[in-house]
Amino acid sequence: MTKVADIQAYLDELEDIPGTRVYTAQRARLGYHLNQFAMSLMKPENRERWMADERAYLDQWPLSEDQKLAVLARDYNRLLDLGGNIYFMSKIFSTDGIPFAEACSTMTDMTFPEYREMMLKGGRSPIGNRSIKGGY
Amino acid sequence: MARITAGVGSSHVPLMGVAVDQGKTGDDYFGPIFKGYEWTRAWEREQKPDVIVLVYNDHASAFDANIIPTFAIGCGDRYKPADEGWGPRPVPDVEGHADLAWHIAQCLILDEFDMTIINELDVDHGLTVPLSMMFGTPAKWPCRVIPLAVNVVTYPVPSGNRCWALGEAIARAVASFPGDLNVQVWGTGGMSHQLQGPRAGLLNREWDNRFMDMLEADNDLARHIPHIEYLRETGSEGIEMVMWLIMRGALGQKVKRLHRHYHIPCSNTAIGHIVLGPVE
Repeated sequence: MTKVADIQAYLDELEDIPGTRVYTAQRARLGYHLNQFAMSLMKPENRERWMADERAYLDQWPLSEDQKLAVLARDYNRLLDLGGNIYFMSKIFSTDGIPFAEACSTMTDMTFPEYREMMLKGGRSPIGNRSIKGGY
Repeated sequence: MARITAGVGSSHVPLMGVAVDQGKTGDDYFGPIFKGYEWTRAWEREQKPDVIVLVYNDHASAFDANIIPTFAIGCGDRYKPADEGWGPRPVPDVEGHADLAWHIAQCLILDEFDMTIINELDVDHGLTVPLSMMFGTPAKWPCRVIPLAVNVVTYPVPSGNRCWALGEAIARAVASFPGDLNVQVWGTGGMSHQLQGPRAGLLNREWDNRFMDMLEADNDLARHIPHIEYLRETGSEGIEMVMWLIMRGALGQKVKRLHRHYHIPCSNTAIGHIVLGPVE
């Protein structure tokens, strides 16, 4: 890769991928506390407090109301828009006892069995899924 | 003197670790995945490497969102398997090689790579799954390991070109270490997968295999693949493959392929595995 000379062109390209939110600096900044909240669920004592009262636990973090509601709704696509990173968000669905593949399926238009079937058949094709603008 | 004798590329899917830990490696789903590693396990028993420089990424286990090192090298004596939220994997602690790690760190910094030095680090599946794939389930890992953690999560991640150059610098550093050590470099992660958004589940068999072809070739064209190509072609998490370029860069211009394996799927991911030897 030659050096990136035009940061704006680089960032614009990252937004041109269908069904994908690349975890850019802008999203990392927006989601910092959201991701740190999720990270806190790595500790068993925090998981207990979280499971006892999710809203009260969330209220201890400097999150936007939108972020809190998206967490409570387990709306992972929304959380990605609000700066959540999937590896951090995985702490939430792991606490719910949901496998990664099932959580992935909730972000698609498929049920979990349909998603699993797609993976067994070779996964989602890149054809038509590479570029929004280019449509290829 | 110390020398780099081989490079290994491998996926590090957590589910592979689960299969090992639960003894499911021979079933219908996992059998074809693990069969492709049998050759390597036998080969590693013969090779008896002293040290692995193991390039991987942490998945929000040891590093939270607070501190994000682009390239971090573990210079400690011992690393515990991380608790990723359901208890640590039941695998042995990882023994470091502090002398060689500090030597590499010093050399890299003088070579103008701005490394982060880490003494205490819990290592997640990104590092322990490849160890299980290559060594099976020993009571103690058969060699020392130097963790080299790369940020491939928060953009911008390092360029392929920089990763390749880091591999070249690691080779120079290892060659200047006094003492006769058999060192391997492993690049882990990938291959194509996307774990997020409406495009989740993307796999790209053709691109993944072209990438492995490029690594086998007698040139360094793979270092110029831009981030956007990984993202478009191999999914948002396929970018982990830049870590394979550190391994490839450490092997010199010409390599010989010793082994190669590819299988779809493992959970959400395409499994790729390659063993390369340097050609003098």
